[in-house]
Amino acid sequence: MTLDVVFAPMALEPGTFNVGDKVRVTVSFKYVIGVNTTVKLLAGPYYTNLFGKHMVSSCVGQADIDLPASSTPADGSGTVDFILVAKSLGGIENGTYGLRVWIEGTNAVAEQDNVLIVSGNSSGGDMFSSMMPMLMMVMMLGMIMPMTQQIGEGTEEG
Amino acid sequence: MKLKTLAIDLGEFKPLQESTPGQMPEPTTAGWYIDPRTGERVFYDPDTHKFYTLAGGVYIPLGYMNPAPKQVTLAPGEKLRINMSFKYSGPAISSAICYYSIGVYGLFGFDEKMVGQNSKSLPQYTTPTQVTDSYTFTLPTNVGNDWDDIYCKIYGGSPGVPQTLFGYEQALLIVGKDPTISEFMIADFAKV
Repeated sequence: MTLDVVFAPMALEPGTFNVGDKVRVTVSFKYVIGVNTTVKLLAGPYYTNLFGKHMVSSCVGQADIDLPASSTPADGSGTVDFILVAKSLGGIENGTYGLRVWIEGTNAVAEQDNVLIVSGNSSGGDMFSSMMPMLMMVMMLGMIMPMTQQIGEGTEEG
Repeated sequence: MKLKTLAIDLGEFKPLQESTPGQMPEPTTAGWYIDPRTGERVFYDPDTHKFYTLAGGVYIPLGYMNPAPKQVTLAPGEKLRINMSFKYSGPAISSAICYYSIGVYGLFGFDEKMVGQNSKSLPQYTTPTQVTDSYTFTLPTNVGNDWDDIYCKIYGGSPGVPQTLFGYEQALLIVGKDPTISEFMIADFAKV
Protein backbone atom coordinates (compact mmCIF):
# COMPACT_ATOMS: atom_id res chain seq x y z
CA MET A 1 0.00 0.00 0.00
CA THR A 2 1.32 3.41 -0.88
CA LEU A 3 0.39 6.73 0.53
CA ASP A 4 0.53 9.66 -1.84
CA VAL A 5 1.22 12.90 -0.05
CA VAL A 6 0.88 16.14 -1.93
CA PHE A 7 2.14 19.32 -0.40
CA ALA A 8 0.01 22.33 -1.13
CA PRO A 9 1.85 25.50 -2.13
CA MET A 10 2.88 27.35 1.01
CA ALA A 11 0.78 30.39 1.73
CA LEU A 12 2.52 33.73 1.72
CA GLU A 13 3.60 35.03 5.10
CA PRO A 14 2.08 38.39 6.03
CA GLY A 15 4.48 41.32 5.91
CA THR A 16 4.45 44.64 7.75
CA PHE A 17 4.96 47.82 5.74
CA ASN A 18 4.90 51.54 6.29
CA VAL A 19 3.18 53.91 3.97
CA GLY A 20 5.70 55.17 1.46
CA ASP A 21 7.34 51.75 1.20
CA LYS A 22 7.95 50.22 -2.18
CA VAL A 23 6.85 46.57 -2.39
CA ARG A 24 8.33 44.23 -4.99
CA VAL A 25 6.25 41.23 -6.03
CA THR A 26 7.71 38.29 -7.93
CA VAL A 27 5.47 35.93 -9.90
CA SER A 28 6.07 32.69 -11.74
CA PHE A 29 3.94 31.02 -14.39
CA LYS A 30 3.93 28.88 -17.50
CA TYR A 31 2.85 30.17 -20.88
CA VAL A 32 2.51 29.38 -24.55
CA ILE A 33 2.34 32.00 -27.27
CA GLY A 34 2.85 32.02 -31.00
CA VAL A 35 4.77 35.25 -31.41
CA ASN A 36 7.16 37.32 -29.30
CA THR A 37 5.07 39.67 -27.23
CA THR A 38 5.08 41.94 -24.21
CA VAL A 39 2.44 41.69 -21.51
CA LYS A 40 1.63 44.00 -18.64
CA LEU A 41 1.98 42.71 -15.08
CA LEU A 42 0.08 44.60 -12.39
CA ALA A 43 0.02 44.29 -8.60
CA GLY A 44 -1.47 46.11 -5.66
CA PRO A 45 -3.27 45.88 -2.33
CA TYR A 46 -6.96 45.20 -2.01
CA TYR A 47 -9.47 45.36 0.81
CA THR A 48 -12.61 43.32 1.35
CA ASN A 49 -15.97 44.56 2.53
CA LEU A 50 -19.61 43.57 2.28
CA PHE A 51 -19.60 44.31 -1.46
CA GLY A 52 -16.54 42.27 -2.33
CA LYS A 53 -12.90 42.96 -3.00
CA HIS A 54 -11.69 46.39 -4.04
CA MET A 55 -8.28 47.42 -5.28
CA VAL A 56 -6.59 50.43 -3.73
CA SER A 57 -6.11 51.89 -7.16
CA SER A 58 -3.68 54.60 -6.10
CA CYS A 59 -1.22 51.92 -5.01
CA VAL A 60 -1.32 49.65 -8.08
CA GLY A 61 2.00 49.26 -9.87
CA GLN A 62 2.73 47.83 -13.28
CA ALA A 63 5.64 46.44 -15.28
CA ASP A 64 6.20 44.96 -18.73
CA ILE A 65 7.25 41.35 -19.22
CA ASP A 66 8.69 40.08 -22.49
CA LEU A 67 7.46 36.64 -23.53
CA PRO A 68 9.47 34.96 -26.27
CA ALA A 69 7.37 32.82 -28.60
CA SER A 70 6.97 29.25 -27.40
CA SER A 71 4.53 26.64 -28.63
CA THR A 72 5.25 24.36 -25.70
CA PRO A 73 4.66 25.44 -22.08
CA ALA A 74 7.61 27.61 -21.08
CA ASP A 75 8.56 28.96 -17.65
CA GLY A 76 7.92 32.63 -17.20
CA SER A 77 8.53 35.01 -14.32
CA GLY A 78 8.33 38.69 -13.63
CA THR A 79 8.57 41.36 -10.97
CA VAL A 80 6.45 44.41 -10.38
CA ASP A 81 6.83 47.19 -7.83
CA PHE A 82 4.13 49.25 -6.20
CA ILE A 83 4.27 52.03 -3.62
CA LEU A 84 2.04 52.22 -0.56
CA VAL A 85 0.90 55.79 -1.02
CA ALA A 86 -0.01 57.52 2.26
CA LYS A 87 -3.64 58.21 3.06
CA SER A 88 -2.96 61.95 3.22
CA LEU A 89 -1.94 61.74 -0.46
CA GLY A 90 -5.08 59.93 -1.45
CA GLY A 91 -3.63 56.49 -0.83
CA ILE A 92 -4.01 53.63 1.59
CA GLU A 93 -5.23 53.68 5.17
CA ASN A 94 -3.60 51.80 8.01
CA GLY A 95 -4.88 48.24 8.14
CA THR A 96 -4.52 44.78 6.73
CA TYR A 97 -4.87 44.20 3.00
CA GLY A 98 -4.75 41.41 0.47
CA LEU A 99 -2.26 41.27 -2.38
CA ARG A 100 -3.40 40.75 -5.95
CA VAL A 101 -1.23 40.28 -9.04
CA TRP A 102 -2.49 39.83 -12.58
CA ILE A 103 -1.52 39.99 -16.22
CA GLU A 104 -3.59 42.40 -18.22
CA GLY A 105 -5.76 40.90 -20.94
CA THR A 106 -5.44 37.33 -19.68
CA ASN A 107 -7.06 35.17 -17.03
CA ALA A 108 -3.84 35.06 -15.02
CA VAL A 109 -4.66 36.28 -11.51
CA ALA A 110 -3.13 35.42 -8.15
CA GLU A 111 -4.14 36.87 -4.82
CA GLN A 112 -3.99 36.24 -1.12
CA ASP A 113 -5.95 37.87 1.66
CA ASN A 114 -4.45 39.62 4.68
CA VAL A 115 -0.78 39.62 3.77
CA LEU A 116 -0.06 43.36 3.70
CA ILE A 117 -0.14 44.98 7.12
CA VAL A 118 0.06 48.70 6.54
CA SER A 119 0.79 51.32 9.16
CA GLY A 120 2.57 54.65 9.47
CA ASN A 121 -0.10 57.07 8.37
CA SER A 122 0.22 60.29 10.39
CA SER A 123 -1.98 60.39 13.48
CA GLY A 124 -3.59 63.73 12.53
CA GLY A 125 -6.10 62.13 10.27
CA ASP A 126 -6.69 59.34 12.72
CA MET A 127 -7.35 61.75 15.61
CA PHE A 128 -9.97 63.51 13.55
CA SER A 129 -11.54 60.19 12.62
CA SER A 130 -11.63 59.02 16.22
CA MET A 131 -13.19 62.29 17.34
CA MET A 132 -15.91 62.17 14.68
CA PRO A 133 -18.35 59.98 16.68
CA MET A 134 -17.95 62.17 19.75
CA LEU A 135 -18.52 65.33 17.72
CA MET A 136 -21.59 63.77 16.15
CA MET A 137 -22.92 62.87 19.58
CA VAL A 138 -22.41 66.40 20.86
CA MET A 139 -24.10 67.85 17.80
CA MET A 140 -27.08 65.54 18.19
CA LEU A 141 -27.38 66.36 21.88
CA GLY A 142 -27.24 70.02 20.96
CA MET A 143 -30.17 69.51 18.60
CA ILE A 144 -32.19 67.30 20.91
CA MET A 145 -31.89 69.33 24.13
CA PRO A 146 -33.71 72.46 22.86
CA MET A 147 -36.47 70.24 21.44
CA THR A 148 -37.03 68.46 24.78
CA GLN A 149 -37.07 71.81 26.56
CA GLN A 150 -39.74 73.10 24.18
CA ILE A 151 -41.85 69.97 24.69
CA GLY A 152 -41.51 70.29 28.49
CA GLU A 153 -42.60 73.89 28.39
CA GLY A 154 -45.60 72.99 26.23
CA THR A 155 -46.70 70.32 28.76
CA GLU A 156 -46.56 72.80 31.65
CA GLU A 157 -48.75 75.19 29.70
CA GLY A 158 -51.34 72.41 29.13
CA MET B 1 11.96 24.90 -36.07
CA LYS B 2 10.43 21.53 -35.26
CA LEU B 3 8.34 19.67 -37.77
CA LYS B 4 5.25 18.15 -36.22
CA THR B 5 3.29 15.31 -37.73
CA LEU B 6 -0.14 13.82 -37.65
CA ALA B 7 -0.90 10.42 -39.17
CA ILE B 8 -4.23 9.46 -40.72
CA ASP B 9 -5.18 5.98 -41.86
CA LEU B 10 -7.80 5.90 -44.60
CA GLY B 11 -8.30 2.17 -44.28
CA GLU B 12 -8.61 -0.15 -47.23
CA PHE B 13 -10.21 0.49 -50.59
CA LYS B 14 -10.29 -0.73 -54.18
CA PRO B 15 -10.89 0.91 -57.56
CA LEU B 16 -14.44 1.85 -58.43
CA GLN B 17 -14.61 -0.69 -61.25
CA GLU B 18 -13.67 -3.55 -59.01
CA SER B 19 -16.35 -5.32 -57.01
CA THR B 20 -15.71 -8.22 -54.72
CA PRO B 21 -18.29 -11.03 -54.97
CA GLY B 22 -20.46 -11.14 -51.88
CA GLN B 23 -19.77 -7.53 -51.01
CA MET B 24 -22.60 -5.03 -51.30
CA PRO B 25 -21.92 -2.98 -54.46
CA GLU B 26 -21.82 0.78 -54.29
CA PRO B 27 -25.23 2.22 -55.23
CA THR B 28 -25.53 3.67 -58.72
CA THR B 29 -28.40 6.04 -58.12
CA ALA B 30 -28.99 8.79 -55.64
CA GLY B 31 -31.36 7.94 -52.84
CA TRP B 32 -31.88 6.76 -49.30
CA TYR B 33 -30.35 3.48 -48.18
CA ILE B 34 -30.08 1.55 -44.95
CA ASP B 35 -26.57 1.18 -43.59
CA PRO B 36 -26.34 -2.61 -42.97
CA ARG B 37 -23.92 -2.13 -40.09
CA THR B 38 -25.87 0.44 -38.09
CA GLY B 39 -29.39 0.32 -39.51
CA GLU B 40 -29.17 4.06 -39.96
CA ARG B 41 -30.83 5.72 -42.95
CA VAL B 42 -28.19 7.23 -45.21
CA PHE B 43 -28.37 9.20 -48.42
CA TYR B 44 -26.08 8.31 -51.32
CA ASP B 45 -24.78 10.91 -53.77
CA PRO B 46 -23.31 9.19 -56.87
CA ASP B 47 -21.59 12.39 -58.02
CA THR B 48 -19.35 12.57 -54.99
CA HIS B 49 -19.55 8.82 -54.22
CA LYS B 50 -20.41 9.77 -50.65
CA PHE B 51 -22.99 8.73 -48.11
CA TYR B 52 -24.63 11.42 -46.04
CA THR B 53 -26.63 11.42 -42.86
CA LEU B 54 -29.26 14.05 -42.14
CA ALA B 55 -28.72 16.09 -38.99
CA GLY B 56 -30.73 19.22 -38.26
CA GLY B 57 -31.67 19.54 -41.90
CA VAL B 58 -28.06 19.48 -43.04
CA TYR B 59 -26.57 16.61 -45.00
CA ILE B 60 -23.27 15.61 -43.48
CA PRO B 61 -20.90 13.10 -45.04
CA LEU B 62 -21.24 9.98 -42.97
CA GLY B 63 -18.70 9.48 -40.26
CA TYR B 64 -15.61 10.97 -41.82
CA MET B 65 -14.68 13.20 -38.89
CA ASN B 66 -13.45 11.55 -35.74
CA PRO B 67 -12.04 12.61 -32.37
CA ALA B 68 -8.31 13.19 -32.68
CA PRO B 69 -6.11 10.61 -30.95
CA LYS B 70 -3.71 13.39 -29.97
CA GLN B 71 -3.45 17.16 -30.15
CA VAL B 72 -0.50 18.88 -31.77
CA THR B 73 0.43 22.36 -30.57
CA LEU B 74 1.38 24.72 -33.39
CA ALA B 75 2.37 28.35 -33.68
CA PRO B 76 2.50 30.66 -36.72
CA GLY B 77 5.46 29.79 -38.92
CA GLU B 78 5.67 26.22 -37.68
CA LYS B 79 5.23 23.28 -40.01
CA LEU B 80 2.72 20.47 -39.75
CA ARG B 81 3.20 17.32 -41.75
CA ILE B 82 0.13 15.13 -42.21
CA ASN B 83 0.85 11.54 -43.05
CA MET B 84 -1.86 9.61 -44.89
CA SER B 85 -1.84 5.84 -45.11
CA PHE B 86 -4.20 3.34 -46.66
CA LYS B 87 -4.25 -0.16 -48.06
CA TYR B 88 -4.82 -0.67 -51.74
CA SER B 89 -5.31 -3.68 -53.98
CA GLY B 90 -6.17 -3.51 -57.67
CA PRO B 91 -4.82 -2.36 -60.99
CA ALA B 92 -2.26 0.34 -61.42
CA ILE B 93 -3.72 3.82 -61.01
CA SER B 94 -2.22 6.99 -62.32
CA SER B 95 -2.68 10.49 -60.97
CA ALA B 96 -4.99 9.90 -58.05
CA ILE B 97 -5.26 12.96 -55.83
CA CYS B 98 -4.19 12.85 -52.20
CA TYR B 99 -5.86 15.93 -50.71
CA TYR B 100 -5.18 17.55 -47.32
CA SER B 101 -6.90 20.36 -45.47
CA ILE B 102 -6.69 22.31 -42.22
CA GLY B 103 -9.81 24.21 -41.23
CA VAL B 104 -12.85 24.58 -39.07
CA TYR B 105 -15.35 21.73 -38.84
CA GLY B 106 -18.83 22.71 -37.76
CA LEU B 107 -22.53 22.23 -38.30
CA PHE B 108 -22.29 23.25 -41.93
CA GLY B 109 -19.38 21.05 -42.81
CA PHE B 110 -15.68 21.61 -43.12
CA ASP B 111 -14.55 25.17 -43.77
CA GLU B 112 -11.19 24.69 -45.50
CA LYS B 113 -8.64 27.32 -44.47
CA MET B 114 -5.56 25.68 -45.95
CA VAL B 115 -5.41 22.96 -48.59
CA GLY B 116 -2.70 20.97 -50.29
CA GLN B 117 -2.59 18.01 -52.61
CA ASN B 118 -0.26 15.50 -54.21
CA SER B 119 -0.70 13.50 -57.38
CA LYS B 120 -0.25 9.85 -56.57
CA SER B 121 0.28 6.91 -58.92
CA LEU B 122 -0.24 3.44 -57.55
CA PRO B 123 1.26 0.26 -59.00
CA GLN B 124 -0.81 -2.89 -59.39
CA TYR B 125 -1.26 -4.79 -56.14
CA THR B 126 -2.87 -8.23 -55.92
CA THR B 127 -3.12 -8.12 -52.13
CA PRO B 128 -3.99 -5.20 -49.84
CA THR B 129 -0.79 -3.24 -49.57
CA GLN B 130 0.04 -0.31 -47.34
CA VAL B 131 0.51 2.96 -49.23
CA THR B 132 1.52 6.25 -47.67
CA ASP B 133 1.60 9.88 -48.69
CA SER B 134 2.23 13.11 -46.84
CA TYR B 135 1.91 16.85 -47.14
CA THR B 136 3.55 19.60 -45.09
CA PHE B 137 1.75 22.82 -44.21
CA THR B 138 3.41 25.98 -42.91
CA LEU B 139 1.09 27.91 -40.64
CA PRO B 140 0.66 31.57 -41.66
CA THR B 141 0.93 34.46 -39.23
CA ASN B 142 -2.80 35.08 -39.44
CA VAL B 143 -3.72 31.54 -38.41
CA GLY B 144 -6.95 31.45 -36.43
CA ASN B 145 -7.14 29.84 -33.02
CA ASP B 146 -10.09 27.81 -34.32
CA TRP B 147 -8.20 26.22 -37.22
CA ASP B 148 -7.97 23.04 -35.24
CA ASP B 149 -9.52 20.40 -37.51
CA ILE B 150 -7.90 18.44 -40.32
CA TYR B 151 -9.04 16.00 -42.94
CA CYS B 152 -7.63 14.27 -45.95
CA LYS B 153 -9.04 12.30 -48.84
CA ILE B 154 -8.00 10.41 -51.93
CA TYR B 155 -9.98 10.48 -55.15
CA GLY B 156 -9.77 10.55 -58.93
CA GLY B 157 -7.03 9.09 -61.08
CA SER B 158 -7.25 6.68 -63.95
CA PRO B 159 -8.93 4.31 -63.40
CA GLY B 160 -10.65 6.26 -60.68
CA VAL B 161 -10.58 5.42 -57.00
CA PRO B 162 -13.67 6.11 -54.88
CA GLN B 163 -13.39 9.26 -52.85
CA THR B 164 -12.38 8.25 -49.36
CA LEU B 165 -12.31 10.81 -46.56
CA PHE B 166 -11.04 10.79 -43.04
CA GLY B 167 -10.51 13.60 -40.58
CA TYR B 168 -9.83 14.52 -37.01
CA GLU B 169 -11.66 17.10 -34.93
CA GLN B 170 -9.61 19.33 -32.60
CA ALA B 171 -6.39 17.76 -33.74
CA LEU B 172 -4.47 21.01 -33.42
CA LEU B 173 -3.92 23.49 -30.63
CA ILE B 174 -3.12 26.75 -32.36
CA VAL B 175 -0.96 29.04 -30.31
CA GLY B 176 -1.62 32.51 -31.64
CA LYS B 177 -0.68 36.05 -30.67
CA ASP B 178 -2.48 35.94 -27.33
CA PRO B 179 -0.69 34.13 -24.51
CA THR B 180 -2.19 31.20 -22.66
CA ILE B 181 -0.97 31.36 -19.08
CA SER B 182 -1.15 28.65 -16.44
CA GLU B 183 0.21 27.98 -12.95
CA PHE B 184 0.33 31.72 -12.26
CA MET B 185 1.36 32.33 -8.65
CA ILE B 186 2.99 34.85 -6.36
CA ALA B 187 6.48 33.57 -5.63
CA ASP B 188 7.47 36.32 -3.21
CA PHE B 189 6.85 39.89 -2.09
CA ALA B 190 9.08 42.15 -0.03
CA LYS B 191 9.96 45.75 0.70
CA VAL B 192 12.72 47.15 -1.51
